[in-house]
Amino acid sequence: MLSRVRLLCASGGLCLSLAAFSTAQADLMSTVDRSMATFNPAGKYVRKPIERAVPRLNFRGAFRQWGDVLIDTDDQVGFRGQDFRFAQLQNLLELEMSYQLGPGLELNAVTHALYDGVYDWQSSAALYADRDDRTVELYDDAERLMRELYVSYRRPGFDLLLGKQQVIWGKMDGQFIDIINGMDRREAVQLETEDYELRRLPTWMANSTFHFGRNSLQLLYIFDFEEDRQARPGTPWHSPAIPPPNALGQIILPRVGPQSSDFDDHEFGMRFDRSAGALTYGFIYAWLWDKNPVGHVVGTTNDGTSTLVNLQPRHERLHHFGVTADYATTLTDIPLVGALPSVFRVEALWTKGVRFQDYTKVEAARLGADTDGTAQHDTLRMALAAEFGLPHNTTLIFQPSLYYTFGWNPSLGYAFGGGIGDEWTLIPVVYVARPFAFSRDRLSMNFTAFPVVSGPDKEWQGIKTKLRVKYKFSQFISTQLVYNGYDAGRPNEFYGQYDEWDNIGWELNYEF
Amino acid sequence: MNSEAGFRRLPGTRMLLALLLAPAWVTADEPTWRTVEQLTAEEQALFDPAAETPRDAAIPYLPAEAYPFSAPYTAEEMGYRSAEFPHISRWTHSLIDVFGVITSTGYINQGMGVSYVEQTTGPGLDGYMRGLAAGDVHSKWLIYSKFPPETEAEQQLWLVYRTDPKVTTKMDFFVYSPAMRRVRRQPQPRRDQRFPDNAQTFDDVIGRDPWEMDWKLLGVDVLYQTVRYPGTRPTITLNHGNQGFVEENTAAIRPMGSDYAHYRADGGVDCWVVMGTIKPELVPDYNEKFLIFWLDKAHFYPLRTEKYDHDGNLMMVEVRNARHENLAREGFGYSAHNTVYWDIQHDIMSYSFHDGHEPVTWTEEQKGMLFTPEFMRRQWLVKPVKSLSLVENPDHYFLRPHLDREKFPEVRKISLPPELEARIAAQESAGHLVFDEGSASAGGQ
Repeated sequence: MLSRVRLLCASGGLCLSLAAFSTAQADLMSTVDRSMATFNPAGKYVRKPIERAVPRLNFRGAFRQWGDVLIDTDDQVGFRGQDFRFAQLQNLLELEMSYQLGPGLELNAVTHALYDGVYDWQSSAALYADRDDRTVELYDDAERLMRELYVSYRRPGFDLLLGKQQVIWGKMDGQFIDIINGMDRREAVQLETEDYELRRLPTWMANSTFHFGRNSLQLLYIFDFEEDRQARPGTPWHSPAIPPPNALGQIILPRVGPQSSDFDDHEFGMRFDRSAGALTYGFIYAWLWDKNPVGHVVGTTNDGTSTLVNLQPRHERLHHFGVTADYATTLTDIPLVGALPSVFRVEALWTKGVRFQDYTKVEAARLGADTDGTAQHDTLRMALAAEFGLPHNTTLIFQPSLYYTFGWNPSLGYAFGGGIGDEWTLIPVVYVARPFAFSRDRLSMNFTAFPVVSGPDKEWQGIKTKLRVKYKFSQFISTQLVYNGYDAGRPNEFYGQYDEWDNIGWELNYEF
Repeated sequence: MNSEAGFRRLPGTRMLLALLLAPAWVTADEPTWRTVEQLTAEEQALFDPAAETPRDAAIPYLPAEAYPFSAPYTAEEMGYRSAEFPHISRWTHSLIDVFGVITSTGYINQGMGVSYVEQTTGPGLDGYMRGLAAGDVHSKWLIYSKFPPETEAEQQLWLVYRTDPKVTTKMDFFVYSPAMRRVRRQPQPRRDQRFPDNAQTFDDVIGRDPWEMDWKLLGVDVLYQTVRYPGTRPTITLNHGNQGFVEENTAAIRPMGSDYAHYRADGGVDCWVVMGTIKPELVPDYNEKFLIFWLDKAHFYPLRTEKYDHDGNLMMVEVRNARHENLAREGFGYSAHNTVYWDIQHDIMSYSFHDGHEPVTWTEEQKGMLFTPEFMRRQWLVKPVKSLSLVENPDHYFLRPHLDREKFPEVRKISLPPELEARIAAQESAGHLVFDEGSASAGGQ
């Protein structure tokens, strides 16, 4: 509550300052504004000369700097320390190039250089992950630096993209059918749709699409595997609800993952799409590895005082069946607004045989039972979204999202697609956004609420709220201030565990 | 005259060029314009004053005389000939459209889009009028955004319809968002509505049908300058015919391009000045009451267009520099190379550069592939076209067009607020745009 009072005071002070703005300051601002409108040094001195010298090359880039400051800190929250103030201090340079080798034939490359200052720029004993994995702080290997690299060959009825790339199958918040690439989930619950483009982990594959009339058929052959990278211990967003393995009486063995050198480990996917006027729809099937391993009990170890279970993280091969549809229309004679441009979308994914850790079986294994401590269940995740174009360029989206585990029982852990620690979970996302005409739409604001309810066990798991104010200095530079709040829910629940992670963030983007 | 100030600051070789080209209009008292009553005998021989002419038997709103008509021309026939040259040329081609808008405080927004254009009938106005029925798609435009970076790969598909007095839907309009990976069909905007924060209306881009106006010849005039470059931008890099970049001296760019054979000895372009009054029974509640066009006498190319509101006040000035981009179409092959639109009421100035223009013939396979909403999802820029003609600094932006207040005062009512008069005076004195400061423009625009 104290943090909210501070926020209100700060906002009030800002308003008073604006009211006292003098004429001279307004003139100065106008001059600055005019200069900013065309301030694009990298475009002028890098992109333009390169593109002029190499006519077949398209070159662009972006620099992004963003940070999150925790409003309050505690030395200890749950099973982890929280002696830091900055949850992110990230700097990302992105360069994107495509070179036209011939008609319909292009070489494409995207490089990323990222540095996160949270480990260097503050004193914290709780942030130590950079000692074990440098990529959480700095992209220092070819895999992360060379983000995408692929050749595209396009003919009127056929596309072939061969190389390291990301494939985006779904666009709704919650990644319902967006299942092809792994994801860098270092931000845990703060990872959202607008971050996916930067956080997906591109994978080596052959991606072909056949076009016939209003239909298309996409076939994927993926000969590389990238697992999800979760917020690991020692990172700012590592879950405070996860106890260390030794506290659970477990020994975690090295992960066993799919091998790109083994054909049997390669993955496949296909997608069919059709457009019929305002309606587009599609069906997907994919045979993929679960991006997150599940611990299998492979034995026990007696340390003299107790019996520890030896868990080996393994990935499970999964069958995914999905559907997506998108219908755009304008509703008429709506009270107060008259005509109402609207889009309705659905994405759904049924996954067969998802491997869960079953804590009852793990305990049985500790006592000597012959079990690997896991169980398989089907899962369903789906979302319906209704998007409305309200007056004054205001956008309203209501997106109820459902996650369901078939045959659920209370001893199951969390796994792909299922309810969050429960049989079912419902997240009715509400999103409102509007630009402000007085600023020529350069100033905009949006608000998102993610309440989480589930059953039959946990019921209310907290709510996440996000308020974002964005200002475009120019076509090249924009900035935003963001407030993220995590409220209600118990400390072992989805958003409740991050109750102490309320934060204010900023973001500065320069694209050239 | 306003033009004098624009030339006064030309340095070095451009000053020499200005002196060589120095026409009588710069200093002489003799006006460049004359009314219908003052036409020369030669001009009278080219002009048919008839207000009523026989109508076409099959399409009664068209003149009976076969297009492109022959001299002497009625005012209506001149209006029809000028409709040969809308903003987007009436032949299949590709180009990169570089566009921008500047406010009175100097804030610039710019964009670039590679555009592919397909005509479903033969090229030109005749193909539009007689090649297909009202309600049929006449032209297809696929636009692939290349700038600014935040809009890269956004696409639009415009399917433009043949309209007539009864079938008035102008187009179907689809947009593709790469962020959403989704194509959306958009409602057609109002024809007379400006694009957001822009000087152009939908009709300024898509063109007006000549049968929607009553035509009248006001007289003749000589134009020496249309689009005005500031002294701060001595050169511009252009991509003629998509053949590579060339540096051009902006002072040497002429209204009808370099190969126009009909320049006067003093460098001017002889023009008919024609007024088109919107027919309210065909276009009800239209913002513009009438338009005045300066049409070059050789091809009826509209080098300057003015729009007037229902009180008769000047609303907007559009000036063009043309280029002969389609040689095969001879006099019908001129295209809007550079256009500046000045919205007087809001003092907003937009520009459009059609750089890298190249007439093309799309294969049947390409026609079936490119101009469909489904194609946009592939994010495939089939034929790259580049431009380096963006304005890099507010001071390099185009000057406001000449107002030429003395011309045809009976119909040209020009009333400007004092602050705009001051901006124009400052521009003419400096040789480039001079911007308002924040305190001066508060509440404006």
